[in-house]
Amino acid sequence: MRKTPMLEVRNLHAHYGQAHILHGIDLDIGEGEILVLVGRNGAGKSTTMKALIGLVPPSAGEITFHNRPIANLPPYAIARHGLGYVPEERRIFTDLTVAENLEVGRQPARGTRPAWTPHRLFALFPNLATMGTRPGGRMSGGEQQMLTIARTLMGNPSLVLLDEPSEGLSPLIVEQMSHAILALKAEGVSILLAEQNLHFAARLADRAAVIETGRIVWTGPIQTLLHDEAVRSAHLAI
Amino acid sequence: MTALLIQLLTGLAGASTLFLVAAGLTVIFGVTRVVNFSHGSLFMLGAYIGWTILSRLPRDPGSFALGVLLTGLATSAIGSAVEMVLLRRIYKAPELLQLLATFGVVLILQDATQAIWGPADLTLPRGPWLRSAVMILGERFPLYDLILIATGPLILGTIWLLFARTRWGTLVRAATLDREMVSALGVDQRRLFTSVFALGAGLAGIGGALVLPQGSANLQMDLSVITDAFVVVVVGGLGSLTGAYLAAVLIGVLQALGIVLLPKATLVVVFVVMACVLIVRPHGLLGRPLTATRTDAAAIAPIRPATPALLWAAAALLVLAIAAPLIVGPFVLSVLTDITIAILFAASLHVLMGPGGMASFGHAAWFGLGAYGTALAVKSLAAPMPLALLLAPIAAGGVALVFGALVVRLSGVYLAMLTLAFAQIVWAVAFQWSDVTGGDNGILGVWPPAWAGPASFYWISLVLCVGGAILLRRALYAPFGFALRASRDSALRAEAIGLNPNALRLAAFTLAGSAAGLAGGLAAYAKGSVFPTTISVGHSVDALVMVLLGGVQTMAGPIIGAIAYTGLFDALLLATGFWRAALGACILAIVLLFPQGIAGGFNRPGVAGSVKRTI
Ligand SMILES: Nc1ncnc2c1ncn2[C@@H]1O[C@H](COP(=O)(O)OP(=O)(O)O)[C@@H](O)[C@H]1O
Ligand SMILES: [Mg+2]
Repeated sequence: MRKTPMLEVRNLHAHYGQAHILHGIDLDIGEGEILVLVGRNGAGKSTTMKALIGLVPPSAGEITFHNRPIANLPPYAIARHGLGYVPEERRIFTDLTVAENLEVGRQPARGTRPAWTPHRLFALFPNLATMGTRPGGRMSGGEQQMLTIARTLMGNPSLVLLDEPSEGLSPLIVEQMSHAILALKAEGVSILLAEQNLHFAARLADRAAVIETGRIVWTGPIQTLLHDEAVRSAHLAI
Repeated sequence: MTALLIQLLTGLAGASTLFLVAAGLTVIFGVTRVVNFSHGSLFMLGAYIGWTILSRLPRDPGSFALGVLLTGLATSAIGSAVEMVLLRRIYKAPELLQLLATFGVVLILQDATQAIWGPADLTLPRGPWLRSAVMILGERFPLYDLILIATGPLILGTIWLLFARTRWGTLVRAATLDREMVSALGVDQRRLFTSVFALGAGLAGIGGALVLPQGSANLQMDLSVITDAFVVVVVGGLGSLTGAYLAAVLIGVLQALGIVLLPKATLVVVFVVMACVLIVRPHGLLGRPLTATRTDAAAIAPIRPATPALLWAAAALLVLAIAAPLIVGPFVLSVLTDITIAILFAASLHVLMGPGGMASFGHAAWFGLGAYGTALAVKSLAAPMPLALLLAPIAAGGVALVFGALVVRLSGVYLAMLTLAFAQIVWAVAFQWSDVTGGDNGILGVWPPAWAGPASFYWISLVLCVGGAILLRRALYAPFGFALRASRDSALRAEAIGLNPNALRLAAFTLAGSAAGLAGGLAAYAKGSVFPTTISVGHSVDALVMVLLGGVQTMAGPIIGAIAYTGLFDALLLATGFWRAALGACILAIVLLFPQGIAGGFNRPGVAGSVKRTI
């Protein structure tokens, strides 16, 4: 039995203007767990994450995080409760240096885990270590992806929403990325990972949830999703 | 040569105060994406509050510095209050509504200032040190001007350090790039925005207090400084602090030299320089293309065709309007004539704002050009009424074509600020070129010929204005209108299907300018006179309020708005001495309660987030 989930999502709905995108999402993520959200382009993975962090205010449903309802809070308050968000488009502050990008993300540590510092993050992402004064706009895609994760970690989140971190990266960088994610897991950070790259996800995640047009259609162990033909053909016509 | 040098230094001194205002404006815009019209009012309040404080302090340099700083703190507090009470509620509104709401603040603060300090200009008794001078090349040059010259770079350096070296500055720069991401990282945007406002308002207040020793605190300084500051910010590049300083120096020096070299054409010189900069660098000296703000502002809803019921109502109203001279007395008839003119004025602006997607804040320029065109034709060419009226749209449309060619490429806020600045320049020309325009006294005696009595003139006006509005409406449902809206919604896609968005926008700009010009020509005859106030910011805002009152997304909007507003305005004038504050409060109420206008007030998108434009 898992402990009571750290994040509990019930019947989450979200709209862009008049367009109804999320139709009642249900999700649970436990302490220290990595859950991968799998689904086609446009299925609603990114929208789910934006709704969780409050950038797209949910139109209905409950989100409980560390036993607190957060569905109606502004993004900054949600982030301060320990929810970190790494957007798909990375959204590096291009004019700011690497060190300044990290500074924007800095929030006081909460709980018992040691606080993230630029020093510790450079150990996690060695590529960034030599770039402290480089503007974010003059970095490669892989370096930007590492910076955007590091920037979020500066807020000392207990759960990180990672939106397609392997997208558009070279195999070598993807490899480094999975090492970093496993290191985070070892630190006890929970992760909600949106991915289309199942190979990448399989090595990291404990469980998978399949999303289709704004609904969770299947949840279970990632290995089942990978190897059970019936489940695969029903939900992953990839 | 020496005189020129002295004049150059004077220009640099002026540039410093201008920079203080522009710096706040540009930093606030960078972070909040709000063009704060009321920034000039904070400058004016700085002068008045500074006067109150400084005239009570001893007249030594130390007390002066203290008084200026206290003034900055006071305006900073006022600016923060305005931000918390008003702007916070409209960060997601369309930019034109934001500009309009902050203009409402301008009106309220104008009346408040007048109520507190009275209508007279206030000058500061100057201590001896303020009167002392240094010798430069054998000329006496005021010491105070030298101090001002040093103030500009000093403040620039201080803000730069604040931005580069503090966490607050890092957050502000990050928010300028992507404020939504900053909030997702745990930073409370509201506090950040308020603190930026406090800084900007403080700088404006300090600027206001610093002009006291050489000038006065007066009720005109808010609009005159904001116009200059708009030009500075646009020339420097929106959001760029260093750009604002360079532009302030450029404009300040040009103005100072212009007074010596081309006393009559100073404003025109400034405008030509601005035009040159924008042709070479459309985003200003150091500006960059604006990244789309990451929060989705409420989009303008599509134009809805009129329902049959609405058409029947319009037809009934038209029959009444035609029969009116047989029913009502001369006073009501003159109000009705004003309304017909207001309808054409509002409808022409609506073409720009709605289907054209262009935020024009200086529409009175075209109205005024038409009015002066007609009046001058009557006075100096003794032109008969039909010819004089024909000249109105030609004059306004011609100038609109030239000015439009320069600005239609620019995006929303740039366009809004430049149209405003242009209208101010046209106003200044009308005001200063008294040999031709009569200056403040205007041009009198522009009466219709004997055959066009009040009733006939009303009918002429009705035919031209309502006919003009209907023609504008038809143009919007013709292929031209659809192409125009397609360009508004996506210039890229419009280009892909073979449209030329800039040419379409220019055509709309010229069309709207001509129509407003015709309205102006009629107004000249209706009033029998023309004054520079026809071109004032206030008159441009009249048109904006009419359009917004009616709602941008219906063609009936401007007509309903014109009727409602003309009625409202007359009622306010009769009912209260504080008509500006009352009008300002009405504007705020409209913006806060009916962001889509009265006609569209019940059609608000239910859920936050982006609303895609459909047509
Ligand atoms: N800003 C937006 N405005 C309107 N619709 C959007 C916006 N962003 C995404 N959508 C729509 O929402 C749906 C879900 O998108 P998204 O959550 O990005 O999917 P995913 O991340 O799974 O690829 C898609 O149909 C997409 O077209
Ligand atoms: Mg996505």
